[in-house]
Amino acid sequence: MKNLVQVALGVLTAIGGFVDIGDIVASTATGARFGLALAWVLVVGTTGIMIFAEMAGRVAAISGRPVFDLVRERLGAGMGLANLLASFFITLLTLAAEIGGVALAIELATSVNYLLWVPLVGIVVWVVVWRLPFETMDNTFGLIGLALVVFLFAIWRLHPDWAGLAHSALHPTVPQGEGHPTYWYFAIALLGSAMSPYEVFFFSSGAVEQRWTRRDLIINRTNVLIGFPLGGLLALALMCTAAIVLQPQGVDPSHLSQAALPVSLAFGKLGLALALIGIFACTFGAALETCLSCGYTVAQYFGWQWGKFVKPAQAPRFHVVVLLSILAGTLLVLTTIDPIQLTEYSIVLAAAALPLTYLPVLLVANDRDYMGDKVNSGASNLLATVYLLLLLVVSVATIPLLVVTKAGG
Amino acid sequence: MTLLLLLVVSGCTGPVRSSGVYESKAANTARKTASAVATAELAVQAATHDRTFGRTAAQTLAETARDAGDVQGIFDSIQPPDRRSDQLRSQLDDLLQPAVSTLEDLRTAARRGDVESMARIAAPLEKLAGELQDFDEAHR
Repeated sequence: MKNLVQVALGVLTAIGGFVDIGDIVASTATGARFGLALAWVLVVGTTGIMIFAEMAGRVAAISGRPVFDLVRERLGAGMGLANLLASFFITLLTLAAEIGGVALAIELATSVNYLLWVPLVGIVVWVVVWRLPFETMDNTFGLIGLALVVFLFAIWRLHPDWAGLAHSALHPTVPQGEGHPTYWYFAIALLGSAMSPYEVFFFSSGAVEQRWTRRDLIINRTNVLIGFPLGGLLALALMCTAAIVLQPQGVDPSHLSQAALPVSLAFGKLGLALALIGIFACTFGAALETCLSCGYTVAQYFGWQWGKFVKPAQAPRFHVVVLLSILAGTLLVLTTIDPIQLTEYSIVLAAAALPLTYLPVLLVANDRDYMGDKVNSGASNLLATVYLLLLLVVSVATIPLLVVTKAGG
Repeated sequence: MTLLLLLVVSGCTGPVRSSGVYESKAANTARKTASAVATAELAVQAATHDRTFGRTAAQTLAETARDAGDVQGIFDSIQPPDRRSDQLRSQLDDLLQPAVSTLEDLRTAARRGDVESMARIAAPLEKLAGELQDFDEAHR
């Protein structure tokens, strides 16, 4: 019974914790501009993160070490450093975007300028990371993030043209007035948001924080195979509501408020309150995950003691990196850079760095020295290789598309 | 380096030497303003049907007014390269001015919590959004 509760809790937090500011911005923007013509990217992205997160969780459960603890040991210092630099920079940008997202959600509820909330958000993020036990922190915001389910119900309430939506999703075409480069640029942004590198760092390190062992492989599988697709469904719901309400009106979203408008029209104040709570919880939860991921990657590369499973005094350098990352993220948002634009850039640049994140996962998951009899199956390797080839193409195409489309403008 | 690249691709408005480029910028301006206007319509619809919080409506409408004002300011800072572009600018300004002005009035009404006036102030928005979208399609 205890195991069942643990599995259910894991699945629920995986659903609520799946969505972050990148998913909200990318799904709403693509839904408003392309309808469901890019829904297939969500399927591709969610499947991709499932494949690699399952590997990362399995590596952590079998070896007792997170994937990136093994990267330097397995691939050498040079490859490890390249991986660290790319992933740390992207994760730091994502952290800043999440802090901005939390502040924007509070601004929507209070109408007080988000910049005034940013320092407070930074402080609260640090206090939560410092004080709350890992599982409490992870479960609390993951569960509250489930309030985003309101977007799913809003689809029914908005009485859409179901056949039109299905046709748009199953026969994707570039809408009139949009160019092919812009279509592919948004496809990459959506893929970057679904496969954010920090999700794998956090999932893998979180497994060690929770002291997963071989017996927890079932929790790993259920989290990934049930929680992630249902989390992806929330991102699809955001896209659908934008396609139903914003696209026909010609709205090109550039604010968080526009993402919440469909729910407001569908359910009124109660729906809006749930949407704001959900957005707050999922962005705050992601801010916690990204700042911890900054600490995890640096500490694991240098071989320092890391994690919340030991007392802070035993992992001082890890906590200093976390604190400095929160400080840097907060200061970046305080430069008055638009958090939504920052989010767009962070997910696109994340897409460019994806092969660097995922190649080591595949290599370590195939190493019998670490994995014993739990190395990847042939099917798993085939799928992962196909994805890595796709990510390589995406990585090469990202910067040219960013320039040609003027960041999707 | 990356941040420099982002700055280059995101915000800078260079000098315009051909009417084609100017026309494209005009169309883009119309599209962005139409988006702000359409957002305001939806926000007013939610506010007048008591389907949103006053503060959220005020925030949304403040954003639309700021967006439209910024877009107009950027477009007006671009010098038209020839007479044809002068006409285009005049034609678009005839749409931008009332749009920005209406959105500013809506922002004020929302801040005051004057929901009754919002529907009246927003009345011209539907027509304006349509005209801006037509302009965008004609000059894209």
